[in-house]
Amino acid sequence: MKRFAHTVIAIAVLLNLCAAASAELLFPPPEFESDYVMPTTTTPHPHQDVYEYVDVAVLFIALSLASYLVLKKRSRRATFVLMILSLIYFGFWRKGCVCPIGAIQNVVLSIFDSTYAVPITVSLFFLLPLAFTLFFGRVFCAAVCPLGAIQDLVLLHPVSVPYWLAAGLRALAYLYLALAVLFAATGSGFLICRYDPFVAFFRFSGNVNILIIGVCFLLVGLFIGRPYCRFFCPYGVILRQVSRLSKWRVTITPDECIQCRLCEDACPFGAIRSPAVEWPAVEYAKAKKRLAFLILLLPVLIVLCGWGGSRLKNVTSRMHSTVRLAERIYLEEAGEVEDITDPSTVFRATGETIESLYERASIIRNKFILGGWLLGGFMGLVIGVKLAAVSVWRKRTDYEADRAGCIACGRCFKYCPREQLRLSKTKQEVC
Amino acid sequence: MAESKDIITRRQLLKNGCCGGCLAGLGALGGLLAAKSRPGDTVWQIDPYKCIACGNCETYCVLEESAVKCVQVYELCGYCDYCPGFHEPGATALDTGAENELCPTGAIKRKFVEEPYFDYTIDEPLCIGCAKCVKGCAAFGNGSLFLQVRHDRCLNCNECSIAAACPSGAFKRVPADKPYLLKNVENA
Amino acid sequence: MNRLSAAANVKILVGVLIALATVSAVISVVSLDPFGEQGSGVGRKFIDDITELARIDPNLILYEESSVRISTGFEQSHAIAVDSKGLIYVAGDNAVRVLAPNGDAINRISLSEIVRCVEPGDDGRLYLGTKDRVEVYDDKGQRIARWESHGLNAVLTAIAVSGDDVFVADAGNRIVVRYDLSGKVVNRIGKKDLERNVPGFAVPSAYFDLAVSKDGLLRVVNPGRLRVEAYTLDGDFEFSWGKSSVAVEGFCGCCNPANFALLPGGGFVTSEKGLARVKVYDAEGTFVGVVAGPEQLLEGGTPYIAEVPEQHRVGGFDVAVDPEGRVLVLDRIKSVVRFYTKKKAG
Repeated sequence: MKRFAHTVIAIAVLLNLCAAASAELLFPPPEFESDYVMPTTTTPHPHQDVYEYVDVAVLFIALSLASYLVLKKRSRRATFVLMILSLIYFGFWRKGCVCPIGAIQNVVLSIFDSTYAVPITVSLFFLLPLAFTLFFGRVFCAAVCPLGAIQDLVLLHPVSVPYWLAAGLRALAYLYLALAVLFAATGSGFLICRYDPFVAFFRFSGNVNILIIGVCFLLVGLFIGRPYCRFFCPYGVILRQVSRLSKWRVTITPDECIQCRLCEDACPFGAIRSPAVEWPAVEYAKAKKRLAFLILLLPVLIVLCGWGGSRLKNVTSRMHSTVRLAERIYLEEAGEVEDITDPSTVFRATGETIESLYERASIIRNKFILGGWLLGGFMGLVIGVKLAAVSVWRKRTDYEADRAGCIACGRCFKYCPREQLRLSKTKQEVC
Repeated sequence: MAESKDIITRRQLLKNGCCGGCLAGLGALGGLLAAKSRPGDTVWQIDPYKCIACGNCETYCVLEESAVKCVQVYELCGYCDYCPGFHEPGATALDTGAENELCPTGAIKRKFVEEPYFDYTIDEPLCIGCAKCVKGCAAFGNGSLFLQVRHDRCLNCNECSIAAACPSGAFKRVPADKPYLLKNVENA
Repeated sequence: MNRLSAAANVKILVGVLIALATVSAVISVVSLDPFGEQGSGVGRKFIDDITELARIDPNLILYEESSVRISTGFEQSHAIAVDSKGLIYVAGDNAVRVLAPNGDAINRISLSEIVRCVEPGDDGRLYLGTKDRVEVYDDKGQRIARWESHGLNAVLTAIAVSGDDVFVADAGNRIVVRYDLSGKVVNRIGKKDLERNVPGFAVPSAYFDLAVSKDGLLRVVNPGRLRVEAYTLDGDFEFSWGKSSVAVEGFCGCCNPANFALLPGGGFVTSEKGLARVKVYDAEGTFVGVVAGPEQLLEGGTPYIAEVPEQHRVGGFDVAVDPEGRVLVLDRIKSVVRFYTKKKAG
């Protein structure tokens, strides 16, 4: 539709296909007697770089605006409008690529693969929301992320998810993050992009399976607020941890909590914590013992899960094309399969020896052993800390938003009588 | 009271420390990335010398109509009367009858230039990127027909679905300012 | 009570819906095929079709390969020729090797450029073609002449010596140049001239072979028209034979026959690229039989054609016939010379 200037490259770029290059010879095309003019191959230009920088600028502006609207203006309505605009721009207009969630993988790949250089705009996409979260909380989730926005829109009838279940399901997000990092680091592929459930909606086109997954997420999202964000989003779990340290964050009440409990059910994401009184001495003693036990258990858990992760190398390494190819060739060599596949045909035509392929595959598989240890260890740590968190008591006098879980959507503001009071005051001042 | 205040300040200190640490970490990561970054974007492209014309480009693209289409490098074309990329291998007549055409959508146009030359052009909106002609041209002809990602259509997904499904590893990221890998004029 | 049960019903409904959605999402994730394992089938189907066409009736195969193969020792082998004494000349990389009929190395002539064609003269001289010019060497391997360049567009693909004439096929310029032995141009043959009934050579790629037949006529392949044309030495078009077809009697692809050689009895041995076939025709151009088909010439037990780019780019095996009637095929994929002899009758 929007064709950019058709640059014409007469005799083309590149190709360091070493062996063949030497034999290549300029064979002249026919000389035509008629006035026939040989057409040139058209090469329509891609989306220009300047637009990528525009995207970064839009991201920065949207994040700033979101911080202002949530923390200063305290307006759910304005935040909502910004969210819709972000959905339209980053989702439907820019077709959902590249997003900070997927950018995790580009960043990881560029760290582990010396031949891959991440475009600077992609790094910025990854870093900007992190930096904003460190200062203002998860405003990115609230009003900038198109994946969050599409789910937020369909939330019809929120059902509360029990705390223990939500915490348990959240482990999936950590696992997803760990797997995505593992596969990106080993150069196997970009898991997050492959299973991005909403990108097909943004493009009105995509794989049927992915479309079904997206529809399922939205169906669940009718009743459970933002299921992808809360239980799967790998970037979300990074933002959770950063958000714990954020300098400013959403407060339900603009000034003081009057313990009216009106906000308690306002949050569809289960991120409002009610005041906690002192534990009874008996409970406290029990919890203390339990905590000590769990802290001791933590290293055991890490090692155990790490061991388990490394044992999974045969399964996880199958994500890498070289390992898949080596397994296929092994089956063919052993006579366990009759036919040949395209990849095995290509491999056999390259003339590389089977031993050298096995060698390459086993080097990659060994990376998955180390990767499996790290992945498992990380999951062990996550589970251990989650368990320990149950036994930690923190005194809270007021109703407040959970530091990690609050996505700064601003739904709770208007439930607070103090906020109502503030609003009417400002209104009077204006009048 | 004094004790609880003390705890708060301790916690505050800890938090501030963590926050500072995190900021420093972000800065370090940013610096690392800046060192490893490239100013321009990259786009996906097919190395025509690695492509085996398996046909996956037609079906695995996230777009309904694949972003991969066939291109013709005229300098390489033999302008043959019998074109193995245009005619069915068993074609009985060298004309433009649909039954003799290899292309399922009739996207290749054959025009008489002068004795004995014929010109073959691709009607791009009709091309579905199935690579049948590529296979024919590569097997029997000069290989002037081959697949390329058309960047006016490509969405430049972060992970290209066709690249993941490519059996010969022909897809690669190329700099956005040199977005095509056209075949060189070669000895076919 | 009623309201309570209604609320409970809604809860159950929501629960069921969520469960269904979860199950179908899991199924979708599991059944996704990100690695292209299902494939499109297009490539395979094409191969199958061609394989079917490439199948050759074993009764038509008149030759068998002898067990000995000679390695050319080149990275890339280009051309083969045999002289009247049976000495084998193989051109490849930047050199020509001279081999005894049994394969023993006799001599090696190195050039500064890639040697694309070779032709031994009757007087012991050797005519070598680089990209754009002919160089003449004596039997000791010393250069005695370096003829004029054919220009930038030139791609020399074949040389034929007959009596006092040297014919040089220039694929790039689509012309045959006739020289005398001293390297002086006598005339040019094959430029399109409808008044003289000369159709012009359509040369889509660097395959353009020629030879002077026993009947005194020059035979030149017109590869774009998939036929062999006969010219008088002065350049008058006489007749042609060969037709475009995937069937075994015809030539298929865009530049076939890629190479040919003359049999002692006046027949032709042709070599095709793409669908790799070496076949025999009689002096009139009637199909006689097959020396070797794709099954024999290319790797693999079943009929098989080039499937991947590496295989496409080589091919167009050169052929030669020695005084004993053996057919020599220069396998450019493996860089070996293969020998085919007539099967014993019965």
